[in-house]
Amino acid sequence: MEMKNLALIIDHYACFGCLACEVACKQENGSDYGVKLIEMREDGPRMMNGKLDFTYIVNACLHAECEGTPCVDSCPDDTITVRPDGIVVMNEKTCTGCEACIPECPTDAIRINDNDMVTEKCNLCYHRVDKGLMPACADNVCLSHCIYFGEVDDIKKQIAAVEVKRTRGAA
Amino acid sequence: MVEFVYSNAEKEVEAYGYDEVIKSHCRMCHGGCGVLIYKKEGKVDKIGGDPECPIAHGTLCPKGIASTQIAYHPDRLTHPVKRVGPKGSGQWERISWDEALDTIAEKINGYKADFGAESIVMGYGTGRDNEAVIYRFANLLGTPNVLTAGHLCYGPRISTSIITCGSNPVVDYENDPDCIMVWGNNLVIANSDEYKGESLAVCLEKGAKLIVVDPRMTRLAARADEWLQLRPGTDTALALGMLNYIIEEELHDKEFVEKYVHGWDEFVARCKEYPLEKVADITWLPVEQIKAAARMFAEADTAGIQWGVAIEQQVNCADNNRTLMALMAITGNLDRKGGQVLFETAKNRNASQFGAHKMLTKEQKDKRLGADRFRLAGHFAIQNPKCVWDAILTEEPYPVKMAFFISSNPVLTRANANEVYKALEALDFMAVADFFITPTAELADIVLPAATWLEMDHVADFWKRHGYILPRRKAIQVGECRSDHEMLNDLGKRVGQEEHWWDDFEGALDYILEPLEITFQDFKKMKFIRGEVNYEKYKEKGFSTPTGKVELYSTKLEEWGYDPLPKYVEPHESPISKPEMNDDYPFILVTGARSPGFFHTENRQLPWLREQHPEPFIEIHPDTASKLGIHNGDWVTIESPRGKVRQKAKIFEGIHPQVVGAQHAWWYPEKKKGNHGWADSNINILTDNSFESCDPAMGSTSVRTLLCNIYKEKTA
Repeated sequence: MEMKNLALIIDHYACFGCLACEVACKQENGSDYGVKLIEMREDGPRMMNGKLDFTYIVNACLHAECEGTPCVDSCPDDTITVRPDGIVVMNEKTCTGCEACIPECPTDAIRINDNDMVTEKCNLCYHRVDKGLMPACADNVCLSHCIYFGEVDDIKKQIAAVEVKRTRGAA
Repeated sequence: MVEFVYSNAEKEVEAYGYDEVIKSHCRMCHGGCGVLIYKKEGKVDKIGGDPECPIAHGTLCPKGIASTQIAYHPDRLTHPVKRVGPKGSGQWERISWDEALDTIAEKINGYKADFGAESIVMGYGTGRDNEAVIYRFANLLGTPNVLTAGHLCYGPRISTSIITCGSNPVVDYENDPDCIMVWGNNLVIANSDEYKGESLAVCLEKGAKLIVVDPRMTRLAARADEWLQLRPGTDTALALGMLNYIIEEELHDKEFVEKYVHGWDEFVARCKEYPLEKVADITWLPVEQIKAAARMFAEADTAGIQWGVAIEQQVNCADNNRTLMALMAITGNLDRKGGQVLFETAKNRNASQFGAHKMLTKEQKDKRLGADRFRLAGHFAIQNPKCVWDAILTEEPYPVKMAFFISSNPVLTRANANEVYKALEALDFMAVADFFITPTAELADIVLPAATWLEMDHVADFWKRHGYILPRRKAIQVGECRSDHEMLNDLGKRVGQEEHWWDDFEGALDYILEPLEITFQDFKKMKFIRGEVNYEKYKEKGFSTPTGKVELYSTKLEEWGYDPLPKYVEPHESPISKPEMNDDYPFILVTGARSPGFFHTENRQLPWLREQHPEPFIEIHPDTASKLGIHNGDWVTIESPRGKVRQKAKIFEGIHPQVVGAQHAWWYPEKKKGNHGWADSNINILTDNSFESCDPAMGSTSVRTLLCNIYKEKTA
């Protein structure tokens, strides 16, 4: 079956901030100290919907879930391309470090590496995906199983099913 | 929850051209998880999860993945060294293993002859599955002094559970408890014991109710049906209040308490001393919330308490544990499927047998430092550290001349660090085995290069209470590093213990497995062995206690001269016990909340993990910070009567305005001067180790709860 809309989607409700995804990414992609292609951020504790709440937000490129992929248009050198399967790939080799893409990203998922002044972002481990492997962070490392990889619609159905289970069917 | 989708190891090998994949069992924390080690050109290239692991089901944590960064770290100690400058000077010279072990053996034999074997202290921190080996060496040597973290970590769970219900009750995640009460624990990121965060996460995703007892808001607390943000150190009062309410409302399992509890009437009378209004005053919690939580726990069909180390590092250590076991017991959840199970181990030789405790003569056992003062600890071969520091510094009741610390960094991890440092400096001779030259190792005479879990064969988890043993398979050799087990196997033979050790440590592994009628080579071909799984074993066999029942009234504690019933004692330093300290030290300090990448003092030199957490921080409520003029990221001085240190302010609304939460075990491997900044941010400079501040039975130090002051660091 041809894959069309590949993305990495995090079920943030389930995330416990264990940070295994960040290190699994480092192990796979070897990004330098200070450059995180996937990054966990704390949200809170703060008042949310009338109660003190505390969640973790795992941030990475949205790929097929990104509307309009503005980074692609912002790049003067065609360094960022969208593959037919929805993976948005940044080619570090042709990047000139102009940084035009950075402010365009709706999730602040593009990093500049201060060592070589080249931008980097999550390429959804396409080198693994093309060989039938899961992206490193989604390869079952996550203890809360909150990182989903696949077709956007399928993932959304799976997350909805978990939400029902989580409340044992209660509203 | 994502369906389990595993990358196929065969595909990984094909895609990356790996030469070999080795199944093994990680040991970067107190737990252990199944892993796949991918090798290329003789080196570990990647660590992945092992989906066949019955404990973590193929999930991993940052520490496990980053194991390669320890193994191949440029600062790693890869050969033995001896110190050639003053203590702490950082001047070392390479020596051979033979010279190192012969020197240590000569010192041991000398001190034993001149001062008795008790003048030699063996020590470990949180062990690398080496606990039983170190006890074996010490017991054969004849020294009763083995200084571990056992007084304040896990040791209390083991010893209090053995005297109360026979063994450590472990939450039966496998059978989906309907309600989980997480008490002073953050299993999803912490260095866990039996089960890992994955099991808890999966239960919650299947709809288990969640109660969290924690003075700090964690993600678990935020998700909880009830989050009880209690005043630090008041756990026993809360548990007794819950027990009293459950009994008054008759929510307890009447048949169970009638048949299987010892001392029920006395216990009920004690609980009555804790009406909810009184408990609410003590704990700062609303009566209605305590009721709601107690009812949710008691009314659940099956429920478990995920307990952790935080409640053990208090003056109420033993009674905290005992009241939680009482909650498990009176609600009928003890040894119940889906509740909290006393798992049976496989029929291998257990850690206690391997540890050769019976080889220590009574005469030597009676010399165990502190055993007369902290008698629960003493009966489980556990020691309070101050008893050892005092003997080093005063030579009373006898001199301690030598210490050998294996995977232990006490100048960072033991209370009242300045005293610890002074004591270690005063030792005649000290040896250390570790991965790096740590601040503690800098005070040693000889440092031995220890192997990581990647570099050893072992019967992993054979001392644990989840009932599994799993093969750890050696994947690599780094420099001249040796496992602690191999080095003691060798050293034992140099101090006259030849008949009790083996040609190499594989002989010991065969010995552990012998009752199962397999060798380690056989075991290596297996995935794991699990003990027989049975529930409600007490119906046939009773509980393994003196009365055969759950001893809510402890006959052992009574025999040792303690109150046989649990009671709440106010923390040694609190706004209530020490109101006179209020002006100078107005805040309650809690310490030691875990961060995912660090294991106590370890891993701060590993780039992947340090990047996530470059500096220590102290959590301060925004109202408090604003009153003190402290902003997020400011360096803050934290001060107690014992001293002061610095950590960075983290404005954090999930903590009470009168409570601040500092991190533990911080040092700076990158700092070459001042012994790696051992005193800069080390929270144990502030903690108390006076005997009055310790649990009277367990000797646990109150490193979690004390009084402090904080202020914005003054610029020079």
